[in-house]
Amino acid sequence: MLHMRIAKRQEPLGLGGSCLVLVLALALSLALSGFLLFLGGTPPVKGLSTLFHGAFGSRWAFEDSVLKAIPIFLCSLGVAIAFRLKVWNIGAEGQFALGAVGATWVALSYPDWPAYFLLPAMIAMAAAAGGFWGLIPAFLRQKLRTNEIIVTLMMNYVAILFLDYLVYGVWKDPTSFGFPMTPAFSDNAVVGKIGSSSINWGIFHCLGLGFLMWGFLKFTRLGFELKAAGDNVAAARYAGIPYDRLVMLVMVMSGALAGWAGFLEASATVNRLQPSIMVGYGYTAIVVAWLARLNPLSIGIASILLAGLRVGVENLQLDLQVPAAFGGILEGLILLTVLAGGLFTHYKIERKRIR
Amino acid sequence: MTTEIIISLLAAAVQSGTPILYATLGEIFTEKSGVLNLGVEGAMILGALAGFMVAKFTGSPVIGFLAAGVVGSFATSIHGVVCLWFQGNQVVSGLALTILGAGLANYLGTAYVGLSAPGFNPLALPVLSEIPVLGKIFFQQDLLVYFSYCIPFLMWLFFAKTRYGLSLRAVGEYPAAATAAGLNVLLYRWVGILVGGFFMGLGGAYLSLAYTHLWTTNLTGGRGWIAVALVIFAFWRPGRAVFGAYLFGGVMALQLRLQASGTQLPSSLLLMLPYALTVLVLVLSSWKKGSSDEPGALGVNIEPVD
Amino acid sequence: MKMLKVVLLLTLSLFLSTANAAEKEMKVGFVYVSPIGDAGYSYAHDLGRQAVEAMDGVTTSYVESVPEGPDAERVILNMARKGYDVIFATSFGYMDPMLKVAKQFPKVAFLHCSGFKQSENMGNYFGRMYQARYLSGIVAGKMSKSNIIGYVAAFPIPEVIRGINAFTLGAQSVNPDATVRVVWTKTWYDPATEKEAAKSLLDVGADVIAQHQDSPGPQEAAEEKGVYSIGYNSDMSSFAPKAHLTATVWNWAPYYTKVVEAVRNGTWKAESAWPGLAEGIVDLAPFGPMVPKDVQDAVNTVKAEIISGAKKVFVGPIKDQSGAVKIAEGVAAPDADLLGMTWFVQGVVGTTE
Repeated sequence: MLHMRIAKRQEPLGLGGSCLVLVLALALSLALSGFLLFLGGTPPVKGLSTLFHGAFGSRWAFEDSVLKAIPIFLCSLGVAIAFRLKVWNIGAEGQFALGAVGATWVALSYPDWPAYFLLPAMIAMAAAAGGFWGLIPAFLRQKLRTNEIIVTLMMNYVAILFLDYLVYGVWKDPTSFGFPMTPAFSDNAVVGKIGSSSINWGIFHCLGLGFLMWGFLKFTRLGFELKAAGDNVAAARYAGIPYDRLVMLVMVMSGALAGWAGFLEASATVNRLQPSIMVGYGYTAIVVAWLARLNPLSIGIASILLAGLRVGVENLQLDLQVPAAFGGILEGLILLTVLAGGLFTHYKIERKRIR
Repeated sequence: MTTEIIISLLAAAVQSGTPILYATLGEIFTEKSGVLNLGVEGAMILGALAGFMVAKFTGSPVIGFLAAGVVGSFATSIHGVVCLWFQGNQVVSGLALTILGAGLANYLGTAYVGLSAPGFNPLALPVLSEIPVLGKIFFQQDLLVYFSYCIPFLMWLFFAKTRYGLSLRAVGEYPAAATAAGLNVLLYRWVGILVGGFFMGLGGAYLSLAYTHLWTTNLTGGRGWIAVALVIFAFWRPGRAVFGAYLFGGVMALQLRLQASGTQLPSSLLLMLPYALTVLVLVLSSWKKGSSDEPGALGVNIEPVD
Repeated sequence: MKMLKVVLLLTLSLFLSTANAAEKEMKVGFVYVSPIGDAGYSYAHDLGRQAVEAMDGVTTSYVESVPEGPDAERVILNMARKGYDVIFATSFGYMDPMLKVAKQFPKVAFLHCSGFKQSENMGNYFGRMYQARYLSGIVAGKMSKSNIIGYVAAFPIPEVIRGINAFTLGAQSVNPDATVRVVWTKTWYDPATEKEAAKSLLDVGADVIAQHQDSPGPQEAAEEKGVYSIGYNSDMSSFAPKAHLTATVWNWAPYYTKVVEAVRNGTWKAESAWPGLAEGIVDLAPFGPMVPKDVQDAVNTVKAEIISGAKKVFVGPIKDQSGAVKIAEGVAAPDADLLGMTWFVQGVVGTTE
């Protein structure tokens, strides 16, 4: 290191260079985790190929990964717009929970409505519930300058326990033999699967919402204001952008998207509400949003990759008896190396000239 | 409730607040240098495992406790490499550290589940433990609790009265000015990360060596996240952190005692109490516009150009 | 260059892994809800799996920490696709996912633990842990002086509620004044919280602590306070040598090996199996030295009666907390009612929510 120095690039690293850095970062994390596999008595190359095979190696595997990516993508999209405004919404998990609760309320109350009416109503309620859960911290932040990180984080626990309260109590299915779950949704309340695949129609919700978000950020005045205010609050206020309202609006949108994900998870994949739908997608979403630099398209790719990693690790467990904890190690290492590799986007390492 | 139950509740508040207190103080120290480390949970759980393993091998809980601190520093040094050297985003790096730490601890710790190791037991302090009420609450605890009493004071002393403490705060507050004043900003931030990690590791070890004497998967159970929240709650002041940690621990202990004494409220609602109350107290205290000591440059990396 | 090598190796190993799938060995898969490192419920199942692994001509595998939602369906489906002959899913929430997969793979034997649905090729099973709980309740009832017994419990689901009820009935059978106080932790393994829950019970006067939790945290609390405790899952006496009266333990090995053998012989049929003390699936750990001989004898007598079928645990009259008769005099509750139990018997202090 002594003869090296870091220098700023004139222009950010191009696409080719970025890809090279990414590949090197991935190779490093794979090498490190391969070494751990080796220590655990598993042949590393075989292990990593098993992992890859389980994630993307077949049509089934790929479908599974995409299916798992759907809720992550929506939560992440929501997290990303809040982050653009530099509002640190850690609360996607709770907003997701409340969204699922809202959708379930509609599904259980009006099971006989036709699907073309019931599903939009469920979505509306899920988005409203999630949005409401996002509005509270935004309101407290703007009116009382209460830190939103702590409020959103604590509200996650409250929302999940509220969900628990409902499914252990008033919403418990009388025919579930006392287990904490609501009755199964009527067919009208279920978002179905596409043909013979395991992917549900929610993928089109993702495409639609992702496209809308891209257009919103790129072409609308509000989208522009959002970016401007995120870069510099004082300047934005000076320019007449209603910052307080903007923060609340963005947090509502953010919560609504997470709530939408909660709706899809309850309706399409579990067909009911039960505590086990909470598996931490809201936290995964934060990681995905950052890895993707808050860009909607990249969020899509990153959520599929991360979902694939989690699906693939199951294959590794099944075929080679590697403990589930290995998935966390690999995920953590990949995040850290890719993150570190980001340095080379704006900087380069030069040899120090000795004068 | 009888006075006896209330005293035992308050003693329980101190004990269940202690692991959170260690971690919160660690995070305060790190954040004072301007680095946001969300990986508290990861550092804690590695510390918990390391403390347990070392205590088991050496037979000395004290060595185990210290080893936990060292491993905590080691864990957060990963955060240092990524954020200080490679300019990685501090939020993601911290989250990644949490994921990595839990994975590593559970991967390496499987063989230690269900074993027992020597640990710390309650040790009444002479004279002090005889004080009515207070003695029972504060001075019939274990050695690690007594140790944790000293840290907030020492930390306050360090930040308020020593040259190094002031410099560390300057680095977190306004790094450009600190650089101009000739301070090695990067070095101070490294100190902030490593010392903070040390305390987080200690907090984890409190769980595996004193609160209980065992190791199991997910031993920390989300306490690292509570610590992150309590730093903000404490307005980055060590003294207020004590209040926050005991309050949280106390409400957790209270809801269990409410159940034990036969309340009819659903347990899900009772369990919400600690989280809801934390928000409530925070909202009330921001109402009064209490001045916060939030470091100005928190979470902002320093450009590495010379 | 190195990258090229890695890529080559990757492709090569892909070929290899598909090539050697032809051998004829019986494959048995297990799905667990928590890591086997929890030292509790999943660990007990895994000991059973290891017994199956030791059989000739059988290989086993498992996936741990599988959430009870869409992830479960994927894991079970993948096992079926990979040619597993028998699949055990060991948590309640796996029931519906397993049923879906079972329809698609009629030649595979599916077994679901703790549920109630079955099909042509999917059976369900569970252990009558409540029988052992009843016995441990007798021990607690005899040993308690304050007549307050504490019970640290994870989630208010039927399995846990049934256990608390059986335990209470056992305690009351020898000590009519005994009450059982329940604290829910809403977690299966968080030793510190479990220990704190046990302490809260000690504060209200409990002098025996029982648990439906995976960690020995509550045992430690009893040991420190100098009162008694009853463990769960496995013998926990090493954590509380002076407190540990006994423990209610799982022993899945005989059942798992029997089912796998039956599938191999072609004699397996989907059924609802609920083995208990008689089959050795559940049992009590050895008594601690502080348990007097007469208590041990009393427990062993009842144990023999349960094993012979002469005694059943849930026989009326049994009242709920409000005093209403839930099981009429002389009636033995049918298994379906036990599987879906959501109410506490009289003498339990706590809520089922």
